[in-house]
Amino acid sequence: MRLPYHWLRELVSVPADPEGVAATLGLRGFEVASIEQGAQPVIDFEVTANRPDCLSVIGLAREASAAYALPLTLPDRTLPPADDAKPLEVVIEDAELCPRYCAQMFEVRSLGASPAWLRDRLEAAGVRSINAIVDVTNYVMIEMGHPTHAFDLARLNGATLRIRRAKPGERIRTLDGLERALEPDMLVIADAERAQAIGGVMGGADSEIGSGTRVMVLESAYFKPSSLRRTSKDLGLKTEASTRFERGADINAAPAAIARAAALLHQIGAAHPLGAMIDRYPAPKPPLTLTLRGARIARVLGETVEDADVPKILGPLGFEVKPVEARGPRSEVRNEGTSWNVTIPSFRVDVVREIDLIEEVARHDGYVGLPGTFPTLTAPQPPPDPRMLRDRTIKQVLIACGMSEAMTFAFVEREAAAPFAGSVEPPALKNPLSEKYAVLRPSLLPGLIDAAAYNRRRERRDIRLFETGARFTRDGENRAVAGVWTGAGGSSHWSGAARAADFFDVKGAVEALCRTLGIEVTVSAAMRPYFVEGRAGDVHVRLNTEATAGGHDSAARGQNHLVASGSPPSREALRGDRDEARRAESGSRILGEIGQIAPAILAARGFPPNEELFAFELDVDAIAALQPTGDLRAESLPRFPSIVRDVSILVAAILPAASVRGTIRSSAPDTLVDVTEFDRYLGKGVPDDRVSLSLRLTFRSPDRTLTDAEVDQAMDRIVAALVSAHGAIRR
Amino acid sequence: MNVASLQQQFTSDLAGAASEADLRALRDKYLARKGGLVSNLLKDVASAPAEQRPVLGRQANELKQHIDTQLTERLAQAAARKPAADAIDVTLAGRAPFIGHRHPLTLLRDRIESFFLRQGFLIVEGPELEDDYHNFEALNMPAEHPARDMQDTLYLASPVTSAVGSPATLLRTHTSGMQVRYMERFPPPVRLIAPGRVYRRDNLDLTHTPMFTQVEGLVVGENVTLADLKGTLETFAHDLFGPERRTRFRPSFFPYTEPSGELDISCGVCGGTGRAPADARSVSPKPAERQAGEGGCAMCKQTGWVEVLGSGMVHPAVFEAVGYDPERYTGFAFGVGIERLALLKWGVEDIRLFYENDLRFLEQFPL
Ligand SMILES: [Zn+2]
Repeated sequence: MRLPYHWLRELVSVPADPEGVAATLGLRGFEVASIEQGAQPVIDFEVTANRPDCLSVIGLAREASAAYALPLTLPDRTLPPADDAKPLEVVIEDAELCPRYCAQMFEVRSLGASPAWLRDRLEAAGVRSINAIVDVTNYVMIEMGHPTHAFDLARLNGATLRIRRAKPGERIRTLDGLERALEPDMLVIADAERAQAIGGVMGGADSEIGSGTRVMVLESAYFKPSSLRRTSKDLGLKTEASTRFERGADINAAPAAIARAAALLHQIGAAHPLGAMIDRYPAPKPPLTLTLRGARIARVLGETVEDADVPKILGPLGFEVKPVEARGPRSEVRNEGTSWNVTIPSFRVDVVREIDLIEEVARHDGYVGLPGTFPTLTAPQPPPDPRMLRDRTIKQVLIACGMSEAMTFAFVEREAAAPFAGSVEPPALKNPLSEKYAVLRPSLLPGLIDAAAYNRRRERRDIRLFETGARFTRDGENRAVAGVWTGAGGSSHWSGAARAADFFDVKGAVEALCRTLGIEVTVSAAMRPYFVEGRAGDVHVRLNTEATAGGHDSAARGQNHLVASGSPPSREALRGDRDEARRAESGSRILGEIGQIAPAILAARGFPPNEELFAFELDVDAIAALQPTGDLRAESLPRFPSIVRDVSILVAAILPAASVRGTIRSSAPDTLVDVTEFDRYLGKGVPDDRVSLSLRLTFRSPDRTLTDAEVDQAMDRIVAALVSAHGAIRR
Repeated sequence: MNVASLQQQFTSDLAGAASEADLRALRDKYLARKGGLVSNLLKDVASAPAEQRPVLGRQANELKQHIDTQLTERLAQAAARKPAADAIDVTLAGRAPFIGHRHPLTLLRDRIESFFLRQGFLIVEGPELEDDYHNFEALNMPAEHPARDMQDTLYLASPVTSAVGSPATLLRTHTSGMQVRYMERFPPPVRLIAPGRVYRRDNLDLTHTPMFTQVEGLVVGENVTLADLKGTLETFAHDLFGPERRTRFRPSFFPYTEPSGELDISCGVCGGTGRAPADARSVSPKPAERQAGEGGCAMCKQTGWVEVLGSGMVHPAVFEAVGYDPERYTGFAFGVGIERLALLKWGVEDIRLFYENDLRFLEQFPL
């Protein structure tokens, strides 16, 4: 709202300069957008949505009069004596959408330019001058905040205005020249035949006043804000008038605005009233009266406001304040000290309950002088949300693995999401900003691939990024963590060239992450449309009683999210989980996947050709549900030495190492504590379809020293098992 | 050549000797039996007049002794300094371990969370897909409420299942829905913050992204006041921006709080003067700060203040919606965008940088 400083001073003789006024009102809730200096200084205020009354000079002047304790002088609003005329008729057919409608006929005497002073004021307020009559209606709107509309009587069919809902299929050409289709829930001002204005939004072109206008009808009404807002939104038509009406106009300003316009039109000789003003107000709204308790003010603000100050603050703002006599039973005033009955002026549509009055007191008493205290802690806090701690752990581990945290948008391009969404469409947005943000991401990988490509296009070779966050399906949200890795597998150094990153860098990070979260995972070969064939794996956790016993927390159960950090899951819930876990005991659960992103996807996302990008994604909700919650039990350190044996075998190249390890474990005694492959060789000396695999086996007993002889015996059994299971040849 | 000048010459030669070889050459130059400068001097003594001989002889011998001692000492030092056969060049570059970086928004969020944890706040998280009731209606924003314009909403094309209630129809515009859910489930007292990603239909520019990160707070009890809100926010602002920044608490409007207020801090670019910083042009390469030319400070639009967060006393209608007695309980709520704090705190000039994930940007922030 642009407030011309001189216009303000005409109503309140504020002693301060524009900066002073801006600062004073700024501290009372009217944020200052800018101050224009010059011959016509203007202060541009950002008026909040709850204060339509301050989208006017008078509204802001009232605030200034309260702030500076100076009287407010309202402009002349007496209707000049009217000439007789043929009667005009107004029929409100829908009093719900239009509770009050005033109209006045005028004889138009001059449609020329308005006087300079009026034009200057409008210009300062940011309104273009059109002609004397339009200028006066705009002037009244800026001064009083109440929009009015003028019809050319001669262009109406008959002298009766009907305030009704639009008829099915009804159309109107509005002042902006556009033909608009109306819906039956829209309010129109119609003549005998058809709609001539969309109530409170915009007038119709057919009854627009022009140079030929002899008699005009000036409308000043009150429209139901919610309905008007829907109309304005549905038509995509936002005007100065609709903005004011949808926030709530002053129902009592309807006749006053006509009187003010009449006075101004008379003053500048542009038009003269004909006949009496029509005021249709079938169900007058009584003024609202609220009780304001002094003790409540203190309780909300944390500071006591003197009884005497309350009327002093509220009075100048237009509130009528009367102390409540403390007669009758004491309970009536609830022993709350002084109370007041406050009558709310009709222009303060935002004040509907006691708390709104308390705000008025606080606003003008000043937030500045308020002490800064601290809320008392009256109860112990529950423990923190386990999800929060888990998220921190996930980030810490991946950062330690050399990956940096990325944040990408939750919505992505349809094409980017498609490969990751499977056969189902990812949830789409109804009103996306653009096609680039059309659907909710089914996976964190599209965003990370784009982030990697972005860096790659900026000469960055080594890229390691991860993200934690929600991914979406029609079944809702799921928390995930994902990462991408390209470039080197280790840091480059003058002592030797860096190794190129591969699948196993990512797999190592995934294993480290899961182990930190208390879960041992295995990886098995898998196929995904977005991964290179033969270079992808599922990340599994074996479900057995040991891994799942007691391993649940409330927040992670099911899909996610609500709440109650800290509220432990009910016993019933836990039992249910255990039952479920027991049912799935024999199986394993897929927690995520690791793989090399398919070249077609990289090419589509602008990644340079012939480069490899490795990726992983894990379901954090699923991991959370499996995490052990009991206290960690420290293991005693081994008291007896271990014996290490290496074995090299030739096996089929396609045989997974996991099978070899499985055969070893199942044929080995309990004293086998570890088996790890330490070399894998293909090439010279190894037949084409075979691979040389070297494994290191560690044996140890918790209660005695093992002998070489028994370990040798164990090794013989293991090798025999490898030979029979896989046709292995010992090298 | 006399003794004094020879001594002077030796001193300067010794100072110029850098290596062991240099020192050995000096020994030859001065002390060689044949042609050594000191040896020659001693020969000269023999031919000097008899009465001068004892003095000259003593001086020459002293010089010989001095040179010998000096060279022996320096040669010993040089020998001691000789590198071992397996010595390394410690000035070569180290082998850098792979260590990633926390995202700057996480860095700031962690810091904010730790502040509120110290003040006894609980941290809760909620769903990002919300229903209209929790995002708007329960927060005193019924359908067609004009304040809904303050948060342009992204809607789902069709409802999506939610684990926490009725199907979700929109992307949450703030984390307030989480506060409603918490109050629906737990009685007062409440003292929590709800951080998380929120969404608004804002086009990308220097200060807007359609997704951003918010931290909202909620405190409810029997005696929670506006003064408590002011004290909490001022302490928070000072914790984050430093105790030297001035703060200002002024009225504002939010539909879910009444009274409402915004907290400003004095501008960090102009020091709260609103004037152009005298040397802004020369020291700052950033457009926002550089523009702070003749017109005054662009960061704070010459007001000397920058807005940090919005807040207020929880509206009684919100308490009624969740079943709290608004007569018995009062409370405050506040909300702040982490991106905005990051812009103010670190001088980041473009909010989009947080979502481009350029490693050159991310790696500027500590782990
Ligand atoms: Zn500044």
